[in-house]
Amino acid sequence: MFTNDRLLEIFQRSRRGQYMKEVEYDLLLARRTQELVKEFNITFDSNLVCPADNDMADRVFQAGLQLFVDVGAYHLDTQRVIKFSQAEVLDALRQAPDTLYLGEGRDMVIARHRNIEDPTPPLNLTGPAGQPCSEEHYLELMISYAQEPYVHAIESGATLTYHGADIMAGTLMEVKAVQRDAATAREAIRRVGKPGMHIGDAATGMTAIGKMAASEPTRLLRPCDGRLVAQMCELKTNDDQLVRIPHLLNYGSHIINLMTPLTGGIGGGPAGVAVVSVAETLLGVVCYFATYHYLSITHIKWTNNSDPWGMYVLAMTGQAMARNAHIVWTDDPFCVNGAGTVENLYEVAGHAIIGSVCGYQQHGVGSTGGNMVDHHTGLEAGWQGEVGIAATRSGVTREQANEIALKLLPLYKDTFNNPKLGQPFHELYNPQTITPNMPWQDCYRRAKETLTKLGLTFTHGPYD
Amino acid sequence: MNGSSLLQEIAKNLINALVQGDKEAAVGAAQYALDQGVPPLTLVQEVIVPTLTEVGKRFEELEIFLPELMASGEAGNACTALLEQEILNSGNQVQSEGTVVIGTAKGDIHDIGKNIVISLLKAHGYKVIDLGKDVPAARFIDEAENSRADVIATSALMSITRAGCREVADLLHDRKLMDKYHFIVGGGSITQDYADEIGADGFSETGSGAVELVKSLLQNMRGA
Repeated sequence: MFTNDRLLEIFQRSRRGQYMKEVEYDLLLARRTQELVKEFNITFDSNLVCPADNDMADRVFQAGLQLFVDVGAYHLDTQRVIKFSQAEVLDALRQAPDTLYLGEGRDMVIARHRNIEDPTPPLNLTGPAGQPCSEEHYLELMISYAQEPYVHAIESGATLTYHGADIMAGTLMEVKAVQRDAATAREAIRRVGKPGMHIGDAATGMTAIGKMAASEPTRLLRPCDGRLVAQMCELKTNDDQLVRIPHLLNYGSHIINLMTPLTGGIGGGPAGVAVVSVAETLLGVVCYFATYHYLSITHIKWTNNSDPWGMYVLAMTGQAMARNAHIVWTDDPFCVNGAGTVENLYEVAGHAIIGSVCGYQQHGVGSTGGNMVDHHTGLEAGWQGEVGIAATRSGVTREQANEIALKLLPLYKDTFNNPKLGQPFHELYNPQTITPNMPWQDCYRRAKETLTKLGLTFTHGPYD
Repeated sequence: MNGSSLLQEIAKNLINALVQGDKEAAVGAAQYALDQGVPPLTLVQEVIVPTLTEVGKRFEELEIFLPELMASGEAGNACTALLEQEILNSGNQVQSEGTVVIGTAKGDIHDIGKNIVISLLKAHGYKVIDLGKDVPAARFIDEAENSRADVIATSALMSITRAGCREVADLLHDRKLMDKYHFIVGGGSITQDYADEIGADGFSETGSGAVELVKSLLQNMRGA
């Protein structure tokens, strides 16, 4: 078992664990995952993207736990494997929080563990979600998120420039840009009258130095805010990620375990990636002391998760963790289509419905596979929150979520290879009033009409 | 069994081993082929390159997943190493289609895309010098100078790290080496517009596209 200082133990194991070349670890992980998929009989059917199968959910959890115990976490700098016993993993899982207080004052929200088909609506912790942003429109963009009625927290995007010059990771430019962006996020929530709203991250920061530079309780990120600590695909960490943990623990900040498992990647197909995703969640529990978890499933070709593979991984991993742990975690819809297109809203909706019935709080949204600068706005993020609430209030079951998601899929699946990129923020919103233009609002109303016909009951929304 | 059917049988075994990603079996099949007098270059050009190219296509069509591609690539690398040694032992020079120095940009530790490109480039007979992740600009150029490379390839997944690609371009420019190397870029955060903006010689969104790009740049150079 761990000594009293788990972090020190992790450090020591990262220096004394088994040496292994990275490619050998990848192939070991791939092989063991496929063995466990067979052993635990985890199956994928493209007509069942949201299975209602408690027993399989439990098997996914058991397989993920076994995978993590068998292969451990890979430390990229030392090329050593950090291993944990099953007792250590389960003990850390028992110690993980089930209730979080995000933000402060009257804007604080309480994030609890959610169960399958939980009647409590999910929170919507959103923002540009690390997508590329221009510095020209950044404040207005952040306001567009913060002002949405169904948004409970914002996370910053990744701006590309500082006073017009490229930002380089690991340099003073990164620190200056992170501090500017954290201050901008705080200014955005102040302007919309929600000064205590939780700020999920300063995503312009890529390195530990950048992330830690945002810790300043007056103008930048407060202990009631959070910072991402990421895993590299799959089950990999390094010193730059680990060094953030003692800082964030000492600052009292929320720690968010960011996972980006690749469907079609080292985990293989959707069944394997669901198993890997459970293992990555456990890594976040044990190594990162995460207060909450952020699953960002990524298709290896389209960098989305609105396809059947992504939806299945979302559904099965969510159910596995909802039934076998008490942690708080979130997921984000990553879409191929951009803001300004109704297809984007359909992609978001399918994901939001499955996520809300499979135990998640919500995160996101990613548009254009996270590639295009400023092709994301507050509208689709608010829409995600509204759909999640509607799904919960309408009592959507997993079976119904599966049916609705499969009915939405034909409305956008032809865009996977030829996405509709939409328009950038400053063309979709009036920059003075920060209001979406009529065509973008029309997309919202069209999507809402479609979802209503599919059985969701909405209350009045911001653009009805 | 005549010579032609023997070659076919050997090729079949090697192809199967490569497709299955069975390194041991692939090296065994390659060694058996050498023992039977099959020229190493024939094995590379007529069996290994087309097989790995086909595996790469199947990956891009989502018919197989990354582990299968990686395992085939590893098996192919092991065979190529054996065959190169055989060529050197016979007193000949190992011919490659060209040399590519590759790595992810400074600050970027995401290398799955880069590794896919490496597998495909090797499958097409290019010598690849992999500098790994988080590579400073100067190191790309120093390594290219040391290895007499033809192409420098830099990838950046994260938008915040793509400036590392510009640094390589700027350094090539400042050291007056732009005409000496083909500089290409790729990765999730790179677009054609960005590649043009920093003065890169080429950009590709996909692994197979990167191979075609290298091929076409080197053909143009040789044709010029």
